[in-house]
Parts: sequence; C-alpha cells; structure tokens
Amino acid sequence: MSPIEDPPPTGIEALGCLTPFGDAEATLHALLAGRRALERLPVLGADGGERVPLALAGSPEMTESLPPRWMGPLRSLAAGIPQGPWGSPRSPVVVTSSNFGVGSLYAYMGGRDPGHLAHGAPFACVDHLQREFGWGGQVHILSHACVSAHVGLLHASRLLHAGLADRVLAFSFDFVSPFVAGGFHSLKILNADMPAPYQARESGSIGLGDGAAFAVLTRAPCDFVIRAQALHNEMRSFTGNQADGSGFAACAEGVAAAASGRRLWVKGHGTGTLEAGRLEAEAFARAFPGAPLVSWKGSLGHTLGSCGLVELALAVAAVRSGRAPGTIGSAPPCFADAVALEPFSTAGFDGAVIASNAFGGAHAALLLTHA
Amino acid sequence: MPERSIQFMRLERPHPGEQAAAARVRLADKFPRTALRRMTHLGLLTGAALDGVPVGEDDAVVYASTYAETRALEDFLGTFPAASPLLFQTSIHPSAVQQVLIGRQQSVGRYWPITGRRRLVESALLVALLETAPRVVLACGEERGSWLLEKGMASDRAFALALVLTQDPSGALGRVRFTAGGAPDETCPSLPDFADAVGERRGLSWSGAGGEWSLDWS
Repeated sequence: MSPIEDPPPTGIEALGCLTPFGDAEATLHALLAGRRALERLPVLGADGGERVPLALAGSPEMTESLPPRWMGPLRSLAAGIPQGPWGSPRSPVVVTSSNFGVGSLYAYMGGRDPGHLAHGAPFACVDHLQREFGWGGQVHILSHACVSAHVGLLHASRLLHAGLADRVLAFSFDFVSPFVAGGFHSLKILNADMPAPYQARESGSIGLGDGAAFAVLTRAPCDFVIRAQALHNEMRSFTGNQADGSGFAACAEGVAAAASGRRLWVKGHGTGTLEAGRLEAEAFARAFPGAPLVSWKGSLGHTLGSCGLVELALAVAAVRSGRAPGTIGSAPPCFADAVALEPFSTAGFDGAVIASNAFGGAHAALLLTHA
Repeated sequence: MPERSIQFMRLERPHPGEQAAAARVRLADKFPRTALRRMTHLGLLTGAALDGVPVGEDDAVVYASTYAETRALEDFLGTFPAASPLLFQTSIHPSAVQQVLIGRQQSVGRYWPITGRRRLVESALLVALLETAPRVVLACGEERGSWLLEKGMASDRAFALALVLTQDPSGALGRVRFTAGGAPDETCPSLPDFADAVGERRGLSWSGAGGEWSLDWS
C-alpha cells in the first residue's frame, strides 16, 4: 500500500460535543469519575424487547417523537458554534451521520403519522438542520457508517488546504433509535451485557449512545491541530476484519510517520466486541509501542457515525484538563498491556491518535497535537 | 484546481420494472455466487456499471446516492420486531459499493460515500477533484422504491453510473473541470440528470461551491 497523502495540519478553532452527560467538560468530568451513561433499556423503546445498554441524551427513553428527540439536543449543541456565514462557499458545512433521522421511519411504521416522514431521509434531515441553524446551501453530506465523522474531517481539511474555504464547520450526530438498536441487537453484539472494551472475556457486547459534536476547522494558527489523517477500507466482509489485523495496521501506518518521535496516547474504537478489540489493541501496540490505549464506549456507548468527532472533542478537553479518562467498564485481563483502565496524566504526551472503525472493515485515524 | 479526465464511463439502466431478483438472474455471471444472493438491486447495478473496471488499493472510490439502499431499508423495517441482521447491514448508505468490493475482496484506501439531494453531484465531483489518488472511481446510482416512493422518499427509477477519472488527459472521453471564482450558486444538476447527461455525452455547466463547473466531452 502506498502512503496516504495528507493535507498539512488543520487548525481546530473551536470544538464542542454533546453526550448524555452534557457538554465536553461535563462528559470529561463524568468519565474521569468513572461514571457510566449506559443503562439497560428496552431495545425497541416503547415497543419493548430485551433490555440492552443504551445511553440517551435529553430523554429517559428511546421514543421517536415529533419533532424528533434529537432536535432539542442539537439546538443546544449548535448554540456553541462560533458565528460565521456557515453554508456559504468560503465557509461550507460538512455534515456527517450514519443514521440521520432514520428512526423517524421506524416511528412512521408504528403509527403511520406522516409527520415522521419529513425527517426520514438524510437530505430531509439535513434540510431541517439547514433551516433551523440558518446555514446556506454549501452543505456537504457524507455517510460512511461509524467512520463518518473522520471522513468528514478529512474532506473539510482538503477544502481548506485547496484554498476553497477559509473555515469549515464539521457537524456530526447520531441518535439511537429502535431501528439502529434493533439492527445491532439482531447481530447479537448488542445484548444484555454491558460493554467491556479490550477486556479478554467469554463473550463480547457493545452499548449504543447518543452523540453529537462540531468542530470549526481552519488553516489559521490554533492551539490544537489535526496533524495527520488516514482511512483504509478492508472490504473483506460487512462485519468482520482480516484475521491478521492488517486493516488496523494499514490505517495506523497512515498516521505513524507524522507521529514518529512523539509520545502518544491512543483513543481507540473499542466498542466491546472481542475479535475487533483484540486486533485493534494488538495493532496499536505494534504501531505505537508503549502508548496507553483507552476506549470511552464502555461509558458513553458507541455513538456511531459521530464517534470520531465526539471523542476528538473529549480528547481535546482531556488534554486541556491534564487528565485522560481510562477504559471505563473493563477489568483485567485485557488484550494488550497498553490498555489503560484508570485515568492518567496527559503531561509528557505530545500527541493523541483518535481511531474509529465501521462496517466493511473501514478504519479511520487522526493525529491530534498542539500546533 | 486540477481538472479530471474521464477515461471510462458506463451507465447501467435496467428495464423500468426490473426488481432485484430479475437483476440477479440477468447479471449472475458478473458476481461470485456467494455474494450474488445477498446483493441489493442497487448493489447489482453498481457492480454491473463497474464490471471490468479494476479498482486498486491506491485508487479512491467516490459514491453518490440520494436514497441509496431503499429496498433494504423498507424490507428491514418490515422485519420488526425480529429485525433481520442481513437487511440491517445492507441498508447502510455505503452498502452498494461495499457489496461489489467485498465480492471482489478488494481493499481500497479511501472510500467516500456521499449523500444529499440539491448539490449532491457537486459534492461528489468536488471530493473527486480534491482527491490525491491518481485514479478516482466515481460510482453513482439509485434503486426504485416501493412504499417509500409512494411517500415521495425514494427514487422513481433505478440506474447506476461509473466513471473513472484520472489526471492524465491522453485519450480521455471527456473532462470535469472546476474553476474557482465568485459566482453565486446556481441550480446543480440532479443525480439522474447528471447520469442522463453522461449517458448522452452531453455537456453541463453551472456555478456552485464558489466556482464554475463544466462537464465536456472529446
């Protein structure tokens, strides 16, 4: 595989996220305290089913309402976006999600209320956001399952470094619905067990969580930068990975050159599945020897397409605070010695790798550093 | 802003009434048997458009669809409360190209699944022009919906388009060009209009994303 060419470092002018704990600072505080947002709730919401680990923002249960339950939290998140002519050619918006408003289609099937259909298609969902937040027409929409946010960040960087934009608003969100929870439950990886990322145990399990985040990216000098970005798609199967971990290694290789000589910590994907968790932990241990590896999905659940940007916002908050949360919900033995179960000081580190994976053996990673 | 040359083009337009089952029979020789039975109509059409087009590790793939896996979505919703794992996997937006490349067991560095409606074509071409890979495979398409179509939330026609875009102009069928400038956005061609124009080798031009776009043929 030839090296992936990356644009120059991209400045992070502003960043914010929203989880069931609140904003980035509130979420970081909760993670550092070892709190779990996940709780066992019926997999199909009001329609019942097995109780599985879900972490919901702003609502006690997974109901599909009108307006959709994601609208309120997204309004709250958007209130923190710096002013700008967002959606204009020089300040485009890059929106990413895996599921957009697809939960509205499930709601429609239940009660046949046509009001739900207005949010069901990705473009309709984003049209709603455009109107709500006053964005112009230059809104790019990308959807690559659980690496969606990373793909959007790379596109945003390219727009900036091609000189086509001065600032780009990257906006990502995914809210759990019976559609999504039912789908992961059918794959049997969402079950009654709480996730324990990177823990070597009998059976794997994940949790799902609501998440949303934004970043304002620029070429101008900023305190934090995205120094390298890499993507790789194995295309071996929809839900499996190459057994030798080569897909994880190929993606890590894409940021390794820029990371060379730095003391790193790694925020891995770490959903709680066994095989992918083992391959990921082993690949990062080889690519970044000695770098502590953490996952926060044992607390927040997997926030799907938004996870790359949500967890980037949390990583920046962690570095600012001087402490990174450990891998909540997991206990020894783990797949690699590098798995950090407890919070640790970020002093002495000068970079963090933020990684995500998706269906199709899709891998994404970025390197976060100070400028 | 570099332009890209069109080195290959194929438009797959099935009979208007064709369903996935009929497409599986018609296109059976183009796919591994194990993959064929799980493929959606859009996956089959995309694979047919890409038939004979090698996709390498160092290529980038750009995929554009407004509605993507409509039938898998409709059928998946119909399986509740016993949700189907297969339909869940195939209902995701990037699925069509993934079905094809998984069938080929072909990894690829960068895969860009794009959606949207009003400026979808422009977004996809912008990603293709910004790519650093020398060779970009652009795949676009839709499948015809059933009940979602009745609600105005699905495509009324099925098609798939494949273009191979390179930086080498020699022997090109045509080119896609973007010239940065200050022109205000005009109406961007819809995905079906873009596919028709490519199929007819008809030129297109519009302004958007802060510049002028053109599709020209040799």
